[in-house]
Amino acid sequence: MTVAEKQPVPAAISVRNLDFYYGANHALKNISIDFPQGQVTGMIGPSGCGKSTLLRVLNRMYDLYPGQRATGEVIFDGCNILGPRVNLNVLRARVGMVFQKPTPFPMSIYDNIAFGVRLHERLDRAAMDARVEDVLRRVALWPEVRDRLRDSASALSGGQQQRLCIARTIATRPEVVLLDEPTSALDPVSTARIEELLDELKADFTIAIVTHNLQQAARCADQVAFFYMGEVVEVDSADRMFTAPRENRTQDYITGRFG
Amino acid sequence: MDRSATSPSALMGVARGNGDAAFAAIVRCAAALILLGLGGMVAVMAWGARGAFATFGPAFIIDKAWNPVTQHFGAAAPVFGTLVTALLAIALAVPLAFGIAVWLTEIASARIAGVIGTLIQLLAAVPSIIFGMWGFAVLVPFMAHYVEPFASHTLGRMPGIGPLFRGAPYGTGFLTGGMILAVMITPFISAVMRDVFLSMPAVLKESAYGLGMTRWEVVRRIILPWSRTSVVGGIMLGLGRALGETMAITFVIGNANHIGWSLFSPGNTIASLIALEFPESAMGSLKFSSLMAAGFLLMLISLGTLVCSRLLLRTRSAGR
Repeated sequence: MTVAEKQPVPAAISVRNLDFYYGANHALKNISIDFPQGQVTGMIGPSGCGKSTLLRVLNRMYDLYPGQRATGEVIFDGCNILGPRVNLNVLRARVGMVFQKPTPFPMSIYDNIAFGVRLHERLDRAAMDARVEDVLRRVALWPEVRDRLRDSASALSGGQQQRLCIARTIATRPEVVLLDEPTSALDPVSTARIEELLDELKADFTIAIVTHNLQQAARCADQVAFFYMGEVVEVDSADRMFTAPRENRTQDYITGRFG
Repeated sequence: MDRSATSPSALMGVARGNGDAAFAAIVRCAAALILLGLGGMVAVMAWGARGAFATFGPAFIIDKAWNPVTQHFGAAAPVFGTLVTALLAIALAVPLAFGIAVWLTEIASARIAGVIGTLIQLLAAVPSIIFGMWGFAVLVPFMAHYVEPFASHTLGRMPGIGPLFRGAPYGTGFLTGGMILAVMITPFISAVMRDVFLSMPAVLKESAYGLGMTRWEVVRRIILPWSRTSVVGGIMLGLGRALGETMAITFVIGNANHIGWSLFSPGNTIASLIALEFPESAMGSLKFSSLMAAGFLLMLISLGTLVCSRLLLRTRSAGR
């Protein structure tokens, strides 16, 4: 929380005393963390420590699965989104998500983007074309696909597909973008492009990214959170986390002694 | 390294190889027997039907008559009944099966979905004669006393579709037959649909929900386009069963060689016609041959449907 004190950036999402259960399994234990507006928050920690689980709480994706439940508070735009009266379709449009593996829909490149936009906005043909071009330019995919927008998205390479998925997510103009290990299935060149992209995107979006790649967290994140066994051990600026961690467990993890 | 395993004597030995060759020959015979059986069946049906086709020619298929007194036979009425009842069954069963599959895969909790899924499988295991008895004892009176009088007073008066719902409320007939068939094939279609829906990658669905789609939008826009071919394959599988079903439909179809607009009127399917008349026709008579010819047609229709279904189900597994 020292970050929030030193840099007076308001939190886009504020998690307070969050507990999460997969049936009887207590996966997140009394977690509190802020996601500052317009910053990249990197989430690191060993597999199974609850990083992805937290992401799935932030857009209520866990709601799809009976038996998973969360208690506590997640404040977004002044509301507790864990409450019963939340409109999940609107929430998920405002808190977008990109997955580990690219997940293009079985339709054309153009429709992959236009489809999500049409769910929430009525745009005429020209405005939609402009939106599609705009987001494809932002993910640096436009030059590669401008001549084949009507082709099936599954014909793209893995890295291109992932950039398409990011474009699809930002096309609905969310406030927060969640990324769950977005580069772990990609080659180094594609990974570098997506990292550059994150840096540009944070001007407009608050970003939460789960990663197993500590260098990636150090390169991309403004703030880093270290998760261990369902708890948030430490939250600090990326600089301090990787040079002078306060907790021994953090020290052990980032120097590779476990994990 | 154990050298004995690669010594020349072990390499060139034949003792154990003989048994293996015999085993291969036996299983090959077993497989060949199936081909032989299928081929034999087609040949016997065609041979038995030659009398009817020689007498009536290709017109046998479109001839509405079935008159043992004048020795004049045609397959049009039972072919019509077979197609009408099977298509009715599909029209009723597909929306139902689709709803079941979506509920099982997208909405129900894992435990309840398991229980209901098993019950639906059990429904598929109920012998068809039981469906026939239930249809005759329960469904037919219900249709005759309530559904058909009501429908003919309401739907029967509407322009366009009116003729479909007019006529005497016997209870037996095309509609009742189609309904019985629908109950019987629903488990098969919903099982195929459920498996296809389950085989869809979870992250793809989550991505769709992640954009803010509702359940219906995800089903309509993502799951259905993704699984279209397999779903159609599953429907064809159900159609194949509906076409060939005999006992249940014989009890409720009314057994009259009749072609008409009314869904309430009694009719016949190829299978019910054969079931009723085959045991009492003299071997080698023209009627016997005509029944064989009708059976031959049924076999062609069923095999064609099954081949289509297989092709559709295969395209997807190979394509994705």
